[in-house]
Amino acid sequence: MGREKEKQNPSEKALNLLRTRLSNPNFIFKPLSDSPDSNYSKLKFIISSSVTEACNNSILLLGPRGSGKVAVLELVLGDLLQQYPEVISVIRLNGLLHSDDNCALKEIAQQLCVEHQLLFSKVASFDDNSQFMIAMLRECGLAHKTIIFVLNEFDYFAQGKQRLLYSLLDAMQSVTSQAVVIGVSCRLDVDQLLEKRVRSRFSHRKLLFLPPSKEDTERFMEHILSLPVDSSLPHNYTVEFNARLKKILSDERFKELINTYLSFNSTIGHLVRFLFQAVSYLDLDVGFLSLENFKTALSSMQRQPKLECIRDCSILELYLLVCMKRLEVKEQNSYNFNSVMTEYKSIHDSFQTSDYYARNVCLRAFEHLLQHQLISFADNRGHNQSVEFRPVKLLISLAELHQGLKSYRLCPMFYLDLIKIGFWILPLVQACKLHKIPAFDSFLVCYVNYYCCGASFLPLKMVKVAFSRQLS
Amino acid sequence: MASSLDDASPPSIDAVTENNLQPFFVLQKGSLRKSERKSSGTGKTRRRIDLSPALPKNSENPEDEKEDENMNLRMEAFEFVWSKIKSTIKDVLRDINTSVFSEIQSWVHQTFDTIRSLGTPDFLEATQSFPVITDANSRKLFTGLVLTKNMEFVDDLMTFDALGKHLKSQGCHVANLSSLDFIAKNGIGGCLRSLLRQFLKSTLDPADISILASWYGEENYKNPVVVIVDDIERCCGSVLSDFILMLSEWVVKIPVILIMGVATTLDTQRNILPSNALQRLCPFEFTLGTPAERMDAVVEAVLVKPCSGFSIGHKVAVFMRNYFVSQDGTLTSFIRALKIACTQHFFVEPLSFILHEFVLEEENWVLEIGRYGLSPEVMWKHVFNLPSCQRVKMTKQTNESLAHAFSELKRLQNQWRAVVLCLYVTGKGEKVRLLDLFCEAIDPESYNKREFATCTKLEKDSILSPSSRQRPSLAKGRVIFEAIHLVRDLSTGQLGKLLKIWKNLTVGIPEINDKVKELQSLLKIEDGKSSKKDLIITPKRHASRIQLDNEKDSKSLSDKAANLLECMVRDYMQPIECIPFHEIFCFKNVDKLQLALIGDPRRRIQVDLLEFQKLLHCSCCISGSNALLPSMHDTSIMYKLAQEHGDLINLHDWYQSFKSVVLRPSSSKRKSRQSPLPKKRKDINETENQSEASTQARFCRAVTELQITGLLRMPTKRRPDFAQRVAFGL
Amino acid sequence: MAKEEGLQVTRRTTRYSASNNAVEPTKPTEFYKPTLNDLGFRQQPLGFEDLLSCFPGRSTQVLELLRLLGPLNSPMFPVLVYGGPSTGKTSVTLQVFRHLNRPFVYSSCVTCYNPRILFESILNQLWFHRKNSGHSYSSVKRCERPSDFVNYLREASESVIDNLKGNSGKLSSKLSGQPNGTMVYLVFDNLERVRDWDKSSTILPFLFNLCDILKMPEVGLIFISSTSPDTYYLNIGYLEPIPLYFPDYTEDDLRQIFMANQVNRKLYTSFLDVVLRPFCRVTRRIDELSAAFSSLFKKYSEPLSDMEVAPNEDMKRRLFTHLRPHITTALNETFQVRSQPLLKAETNQETKKKNSSRMSGIREDFDKMDFHMSTSAKYLLISAFLASRNPATLDASLFDSTGVSDSRKRKRKASEKSMEQKKMAEQELLMKGPGTFPLERLLAIFQCITSLAEDSLDEEGSDELTIEGGSGGLMSDVLLQLSSLCNANFIIKGGSCPLEGSTRYRTAVSEDLALKVARSLKFPLSKYLYRR
Repeated sequence: MGREKEKQNPSEKALNLLRTRLSNPNFIFKPLSDSPDSNYSKLKFIISSSVTEACNNSILLLGPRGSGKVAVLELVLGDLLQQYPEVISVIRLNGLLHSDDNCALKEIAQQLCVEHQLLFSKVASFDDNSQFMIAMLRECGLAHKTIIFVLNEFDYFAQGKQRLLYSLLDAMQSVTSQAVVIGVSCRLDVDQLLEKRVRSRFSHRKLLFLPPSKEDTERFMEHILSLPVDSSLPHNYTVEFNARLKKILSDERFKELINTYLSFNSTIGHLVRFLFQAVSYLDLDVGFLSLENFKTALSSMQRQPKLECIRDCSILELYLLVCMKRLEVKEQNSYNFNSVMTEYKSIHDSFQTSDYYARNVCLRAFEHLLQHQLISFADNRGHNQSVEFRPVKLLISLAELHQGLKSYRLCPMFYLDLIKIGFWILPLVQACKLHKIPAFDSFLVCYVNYYCCGASFLPLKMVKVAFSRQLS
Repeated sequence: MASSLDDASPPSIDAVTENNLQPFFVLQKGSLRKSERKSSGTGKTRRRIDLSPALPKNSENPEDEKEDENMNLRMEAFEFVWSKIKSTIKDVLRDINTSVFSEIQSWVHQTFDTIRSLGTPDFLEATQSFPVITDANSRKLFTGLVLTKNMEFVDDLMTFDALGKHLKSQGCHVANLSSLDFIAKNGIGGCLRSLLRQFLKSTLDPADISILASWYGEENYKNPVVVIVDDIERCCGSVLSDFILMLSEWVVKIPVILIMGVATTLDTQRNILPSNALQRLCPFEFTLGTPAERMDAVVEAVLVKPCSGFSIGHKVAVFMRNYFVSQDGTLTSFIRALKIACTQHFFVEPLSFILHEFVLEEENWVLEIGRYGLSPEVMWKHVFNLPSCQRVKMTKQTNESLAHAFSELKRLQNQWRAVVLCLYVTGKGEKVRLLDLFCEAIDPESYNKREFATCTKLEKDSILSPSSRQRPSLAKGRVIFEAIHLVRDLSTGQLGKLLKIWKNLTVGIPEINDKVKELQSLLKIEDGKSSKKDLIITPKRHASRIQLDNEKDSKSLSDKAANLLECMVRDYMQPIECIPFHEIFCFKNVDKLQLALIGDPRRRIQVDLLEFQKLLHCSCCISGSNALLPSMHDTSIMYKLAQEHGDLINLHDWYQSFKSVVLRPSSSKRKSRQSPLPKKRKDINETENQSEASTQARFCRAVTELQITGLLRMPTKRRPDFAQRVAFGL
Repeated sequence: MAKEEGLQVTRRTTRYSASNNAVEPTKPTEFYKPTLNDLGFRQQPLGFEDLLSCFPGRSTQVLELLRLLGPLNSPMFPVLVYGGPSTGKTSVTLQVFRHLNRPFVYSSCVTCYNPRILFESILNQLWFHRKNSGHSYSSVKRCERPSDFVNYLREASESVIDNLKGNSGKLSSKLSGQPNGTMVYLVFDNLERVRDWDKSSTILPFLFNLCDILKMPEVGLIFISSTSPDTYYLNIGYLEPIPLYFPDYTEDDLRQIFMANQVNRKLYTSFLDVVLRPFCRVTRRIDELSAAFSSLFKKYSEPLSDMEVAPNEDMKRRLFTHLRPHITTALNETFQVRSQPLLKAETNQETKKKNSSRMSGIREDFDKMDFHMSTSAKYLLISAFLASRNPATLDASLFDSTGVSDSRKRKRKASEKSMEQKKMAEQELLMKGPGTFPLERLLAIFQCITSLAEDSLDEEGSDELTIEGGSGGLMSDVLLQLSSLCNANFIIKGGSCPLEGSTRYRTAVSEDLALKVARSLKFPLSKYLYRR
């Protein structure tokens, strides 16, 4: 086993280090915390003030997923716990887990017990727990200890009867209590979800977490990716590594690559994910990051699942897709397996295609499409009815289908033709609809049928000419 | 078939009551009892019923305790006979299934070996969570599709139980699942739970298949695990497909073999299951005996072969046959009918206790009257008043003559049996149904006027008109004729075989047996010739010519055989109803059976409502007159009134007419009274509106009753003032 | 998926020798106590070359997965492995773990069909707990809610990781084939099944956010799904796991896979040359293809005397001509039922007899329709078929007293409607499928049909007995017949109790079956069918 040798291998160690960093939010968000106007310092100020002044408080941390709300909060709490060691006790809840009030209160009671070395009774009822909580709040208030409630996924608590929120905030109205409620949510309108009685007791202090600015991004990429000089890693390797990294970061291609990525998902979380991909492409034998890694990472990040599905389809399944699309072009708004089969038959009759299969084979292909979710049932009704009667709808656009067909290897050309007619006619028909020209509209539809039954096909330019004449 | 064989067997009863038209079913059951009661009111059976109330009056004479002693005897006899019939039927059915069962069992074992060859995981591997990685085929789930060629499922419940027992005895782990385990409501948890319950003999809260795996691990991997789903038509498709997918995930760790009962056709799977579940299956098909075959076997064992002295008359037979063909093709109901017939026979026929002896004793036995609580003179009277006995003038009414008559009857019956069986074996190859044959063979008048010339003619045109073929009833002598006709064009070899069988069948009856023998000897000679010919000319191409002249002389032979069969039919096939004293042994009362079997509830209800006088013989309303009288029963008045409407009845008009009917005479009285004494009007008024209230009450009750009987549908929200008639069946 | 049993076999044999003596002591009496090793694959790890070689056409995916898992003890982001069914997702993942020999916990959401079972199976594995009859197959902890699960999971995985850390120090662990590394990976297979557990309201978001909730870098998450990530619509966003895509096999991959461990490679290549392309146009799924090929190859090699022969050109040609008809049939067949050989022989005889037989009504009906139905049930089925095919408005014209001829006329009138209207109607029929009908209508039609049938029969003037037996009967317990038809899935019913008349029925019988039944009754079905 050569694993001992690998242990010595510096590049692997570096890789390990980087991955550990990337999966450790505290490390990631450290650099963003120092500037005075950062959320970190705001949050810290608010909480610490409410701790020192022994008052109740409530805050909402809002921002898209992966914008580091929880991470920053944890940083703050960590610092505060160091500052005021025995004054603060933190209760953490998650909406995904404790959305129903009963188990939420249970959880609260349990954590309180753990905090204060009390023993917790599993059998305690909802009321017992709520009374216990209120009592604890009063006690802590008298003892000048602050309880910080962190409600992650706050919107989950806001659905339902909100008994928990109400009892919590109501208890905080009393002067004796001393608690901070911090709601974390990725719904910006979460305070609109609150009932009136809850909202009236809630202080609408919000902290918004925005995506980082460009220079922030760069700073923090460098912060993450550059290896520490003072580590067990061989010094020259570290220097080399960092130098190369600098070169990459300063590279223009890299910059616009990053921009393209951030243009469609800009939060730090996504960035971290991207960096993780890139790092995981790090070649252990070379041991240094390269631009290629980032490129491949980007390509693997930007997927088009529908196109992949289309590429996975067999010819027959494509055939069925084309049939459905044609039905749509013919403005047959709802269709099911049977009508698709009639279309299939008509095409086969007109073009004498090579692949014409039995009905049950087509049905199997149809079910494959359903599994791939390229198509789906139009409605949830009629479960007792068999598959071939339930109306379906396509989940891919005409353009997607066209692109997929083009990228498909060994795809018979005439499918493209079949689809092309739709590809041209559809916008025309829509335009006509726009201009309210039923005559031309119907003409186009007839025209489509005319083409579908395999007759010789006059060029589309003429159609467009006719179309424009109609418009004028 | 259980419900009729042994009444204490639940499953088939479930299967019957579990049909989703409960109310009607209940109604029919109710009306069935009712109909029996009615039947006692009408027809020839009336006599007996009138007797029985008469008995208590002259209770001092020894008649009646003799009577009920006799009744006890009859009941014993019934118990005896029926148990005999029951056991016979059981054996027959078991024998029918054995071959298929053994086939299935061998298949199961070789399948088990193939699964094992894909890889036997050790205990750790079998209980670990992740699948054993082999190729895609190893996730195939071997499935036996057992075609029970019958849409009705009642017959096959027992069959699948028996199959389960058989496989258990062969050392497989077996679980019987029914469609009730595959309900969408319970989801897949339901069927897994029942699976675990049957394998582990304990109910576990989270029914998890890994439990099954570890259990199987502790059984250490000796035997296949068989899961029998008896009717997939009724299973919920999604649940079934989930079940299949899950099993196929585990098939290497738990070698599960699925056996599914298919009632109708093979592509029911295609309709029920989605493709991804279908292609996990690796199906094999097996076929159970068709209900017709089973029926023949049962008829042969019970009615044709000497089983119990009990037999049925021609009309009864035809009725039961039609019931089987046209009503519900279940053996269960056939046997039930048989049982009903048997019961009623023993109930009605005072001498039926003789059957007991008749079965036990051998030839030439004398029945001494003393034993059978019946006083001799009564008995004699009864015996020699039997119509059949009237026909044949029996001079001296003595014990010996009776005994002789009985033995005679036995002899004739044996002949009859022999002939029928001969016909049956002849026609078997061409699927002559024994049931039809039986119905013809037992037909008395066709026996009385049986000339074959006419018969053949009739046969010809019946062949020409095709629709007569699928006719449930049969033109006279058709099947018999066909059977005989078949003999004519038999090859020598087949004829030889046939004759051998005949010989064995007719052992008891010398006169036929000899004829068969001599025919055989003739055949031997023929064979000698033909074989010589073959020796002379070996080359193949001449074979045809040889065939030809072989044909020729074998033709003559087979003609002889046919003639023999004809004369057998003519002379020896004497149906039981042409024999004196047959009433004792043979049940002939069709319409009672029909009443018991086909309740026909809706028609009966409506009939009863329309002419209710027949039921309650009340003096108040003149029977026969269609005029509506207030003294009639409300419901029947309502129903008669409803006849006048279409299928939508305006409640108000209905009520008005009802009221007018009910209050008619009183109103007329009132008119007469009103003019002279106007001051009484007040109390008249209140009587009026109290009668109004009562009328409404009666109206409502009547409507409710009509609704409960399913003749009427209550007003819907859309049209609140209209009731709808649910009128059909009359 | 379809290919590594070649080396599976070798491994298995080796394992026998190892395992048998391991199994013998573990009699049901004293139970097996799992240890840390059971988190690993418990087989000697797979070499890198073997790993790549046993997955033709999957090398890129294998490498990618290895990269994402990273070197020893390096934390990872959650990964979503997705791709069509039978593209080797599960087996690649498992074999990769076997190659790395790291501890992992596998749980398939097909086997664990509800949250509780899923949670408990994971916890059982982490706590080294095997269900056995000793503790009556109970699982280690009862855990239904996600909140409990998270607490337990934390507990359990911490203990496991401490355990790992403990003996990763010792050198002995290497020798005793223990899983190495101090990370434990949770593998969720068949994730797509979770979507329809509770309308994907709580469990799915929970699983996707599990790593955020858990905050344990030592626990890696791997999801395996047969549908692409965009099919997991969640109302709350989630930081979606890193996608790893398994495309369907290309034709060449398929060829390699099928060529793996064939006895007579030359013969099989020629076979594939013939077969593979046409089938790939229909489906490229291994399982479906292998099901089709296994039977086809038998056919293909039927004429050959010895299976070892290497086919030359003209032999190939002959074999192909021999095979061609079978190919077309197999292409159009999704589900073929095999039957036992001896049984087949019998059936053949049966058919021979049928051909020879030249007689007698009812029996042949038994032959024609391959299952037994009573006459009244047949009539009922036909009437149900008519009721669901014909528009209710036409019943009067079809079944009026004047009979069929008149109805024909009317039908012609109906068919002389204008074209597109007809097309619309047909469209309608295609879309709606068989129409529904109330009980009354069914029974009315049934009565008409039976009465027609009976008076047609009365012309033959047969004895009254059968008539009362037959006709009175036909109507009598028709409702029981109806129920048994419902049980046989020929008639689908909705609603509850026919007394309220709320039920409407629909037939599920295909037309050819109905025609078959009608033929067996000599009933002119086509005359009564609207627009045919």
